[in-house]
Amino acid sequence: MNPVDLPHEVVDAPPAADTLLAAVRAVAQGPLQQQADAIDRQGHYPHAVLKELAGLGAMSAHLDAPMGPGDFFLAIQAMAEASRVCGATGFMMWCQAVCGLYLQQSGNPALMGEALQRHVDGLGMGGTALSNPMKSYAQIESLLLKATKVEGGYLINGTLPWVSNLQADHYCGAIAAVSGSDSEVMFLLRCNAPGVEMHECPSFSAMEGTGTYALRLKDHFIGAADIIADPAKPYIARIRAAFVMLQCGMAVGITQGAIDSMWAVEPQLGHVNQYLEDRPDAVQAELDALVARVQKMAQTPFDTSTEFFIDVLDARAHGAELCLRATQSALMHQGARGYLMSSDVQRRVREAHFVAIVTPAIKHLRKEIARLSTEEMPA
Amino acid sequence: MNQLTAVAQAVQALAPWQQYICHACGYIYNEADGDPDSGLAAGTRFADIPEDWACPLCGVTKSDFEIYEPPSLDALRAKAQGCGPVPSPGQRHRPGVVIVGAGRAGWQLAENLRAMDAELPITLVTVCAGDVYDKPLLSVAMARQLPREKLVRETGADAARRLNLRLLPHTHAISISADAKQLRTTRGTLRYDQLVLAHGAQAALPSPLQASLCWRVNHLGAYLQLRTALGEVDGTGEKDVLIIGAGLIGSELANDLALGGHRITLLDVQSEPLARWQAEQAGQQVLLAWQDLPIRFVGGVKVAKVEKIGGRIRVSTECGQQFEADQVIAATGLQTPSRLAQSAGLTWQNGIAVDPQTLRTSNPAIHAMGDCITIDGQASRFIEPIARQAKTIAAAICNCGAIPYENKPAVVRVKTTSMPLTLH
Repeated sequence: MNPVDLPHEVVDAPPAADTLLAAVRAVAQGPLQQQADAIDRQGHYPHAVLKELAGLGAMSAHLDAPMGPGDFFLAIQAMAEASRVCGATGFMMWCQAVCGLYLQQSGNPALMGEALQRHVDGLGMGGTALSNPMKSYAQIESLLLKATKVEGGYLINGTLPWVSNLQADHYCGAIAAVSGSDSEVMFLLRCNAPGVEMHECPSFSAMEGTGTYALRLKDHFIGAADIIADPAKPYIARIRAAFVMLQCGMAVGITQGAIDSMWAVEPQLGHVNQYLEDRPDAVQAELDALVARVQKMAQTPFDTSTEFFIDVLDARAHGAELCLRATQSALMHQGARGYLMSSDVQRRVREAHFVAIVTPAIKHLRKEIARLSTEEMPA
Repeated sequence: MNQLTAVAQAVQALAPWQQYICHACGYIYNEADGDPDSGLAAGTRFADIPEDWACPLCGVTKSDFEIYEPPSLDALRAKAQGCGPVPSPGQRHRPGVVIVGAGRAGWQLAENLRAMDAELPITLVTVCAGDVYDKPLLSVAMARQLPREKLVRETGADAARRLNLRLLPHTHAISISADAKQLRTTRGTLRYDQLVLAHGAQAALPSPLQASLCWRVNHLGAYLQLRTALGEVDGTGEKDVLIIGAGLIGSELANDLALGGHRITLLDVQSEPLARWQAEQAGQQVLLAWQDLPIRFVGGVKVAKVEKIGGRIRVSTECGQQFEADQVIAATGLQTPSRLAQSAGLTWQNGIAVDPQTLRTSNPAIHAMGDCITIDGQASRFIEPIARQAKTIAAAICNCGAIPYENKPAVVRVKTTSMPLTLH
């Protein structure tokens, strides 16, 4: 057999964790660092960097490969390395990583073969339009997309306000409520397909370069080849913990970046900074404990128990709270120099706001934990 | 001379690139990078920068720069450790004591703490409203014709005001970050100096009993919901109630609901009620006491299936018997939730393991009391020890001298009002 005929994952052994992380770090602190400000404020979409990171395996470490099961913690660490330098890129890595998870877990041969391989290689890129469905499952809002059953598939209608990591030739996982039933269908939504329109979003306070668009669907047809899960509920129950857990990479990286900037001014400003709360050593200790917790969870990403999901939601909430505090403190540590528009310290404050607000936001996490923790009684 | 200068220049050119930091804004000039925007090519030595050059960020001049050496992280860490904030009693944000659980244990502790220290910040976190009530009354409320408003002794809000503590009602405690001394909750994260777990135990619901079909009466909220489902007792609203488990709680509830006019079927895997006290013939005595009450005891049966049939619930046993009822109550024992203890890495022995004398957990900043603790692996889920436990823990937290806890077997009074029993 010619090795060229094999999927490349069979031929190339996955890089060892340390090698992968070192390579991601080199990209992050090299080309990504150069573009961070443009990504944040000028809407520069770092396509080349993302492709390079995908090529390294940074957004597919969590996916099962013929040589072994996926390593969720490694994927989270890789995301953290990028987020330490640029939160927006860390977020897009999560989009790409979770979209790969959708494809691999779909069980649909049309999505798992070449499509998945292209995705892993970064030749195909995508995002996730699951913000609205996740809120819907947590009983926070109702589904925005409607599916009508037709011969051979569904027609999808509706508008999603913002979906990230999109370009004209990208795609995303989406969920629509099937009319006349209490079922939902999950499918791969291709931005350049008939009946799909991309619309620019208004300016954000940060992370402009995340390829975020509103998607308007008008009688968009999806057939068997596009179906990720039908019905969607059991599928979501299986992947929801992994979905949320992977987001921890952003919080971990942004927090670490904030700690870096606190230490950076210690020689000059330590004599005044000692009076601040959330000093770098304390934040680092709290972050290390959180990372250890995430590492343990990452061993069982597909545990479907309620207890485990509550744990994951809580770790995600802790990450969001910690990066809010850490970035705020880094700004206090750096003082005026951190307040300059060119400073990564103030940029990180705005990135942390994103981590705290993006679905599931801190308030959503708490509401969902409360809902899941409440003892069920007969109606 | 010229030769010497040339040598000096050559030596300088070979020297490592230096960095210089702006006093005013912290901008770092790196000789390797130069400042191309201001016309300084990469590799421009600081000494060669014209005097009229200005800091590209804040505009101060060259004389406001000094040589900068990137810090060694290890040295900084070592230095920072000596100058961290020192907690003092007068600190504005003194976290104080956080108590999880507003049952009898939580409130008793709060009362004791406040009695010993008027200033101590106390925060009480609870899943329920935090209302103060006597749980044993839930077993006799029907017989004593207690309306729901009589069951609450003091509202949580009133008790919180009286004790000058912060009450967080309807709040789930989710996890403990033990190193950072933080309790994570669904209403934010609380710091603590001392944490006391008094969250009690939860009704266990062994398979095949389903939460959506079986009531569990372990706190006031669930009890009041059950009362609502049964309808007010006015002599006409008699219901068929099936109780699974004829231990202490199941027997007391059967007794009380029967006195309230409901028709009771009581099931147990054992051949008689209160089988734990078989030696004292408790089962026979209680059956005798129930002779004139609408209580049917069916012993030696194991539930195989619970299902909803129309508006009623059908319970089938493994031996093929079937019962139908309007409401089903599971009184199948208690289990301690392990989430908080596990997150803090506390020693667990069938419950939160505590020291028999100090009631301290394996973490020095965390005590535990009430239904959630075990001593030598044994839980003792009774009312009497709680007041003594509260004194012990409050004295330790308030530095009022040690009051060692004495772990002794509890005397159980079975509140089967038709014939009260005292068991040892």
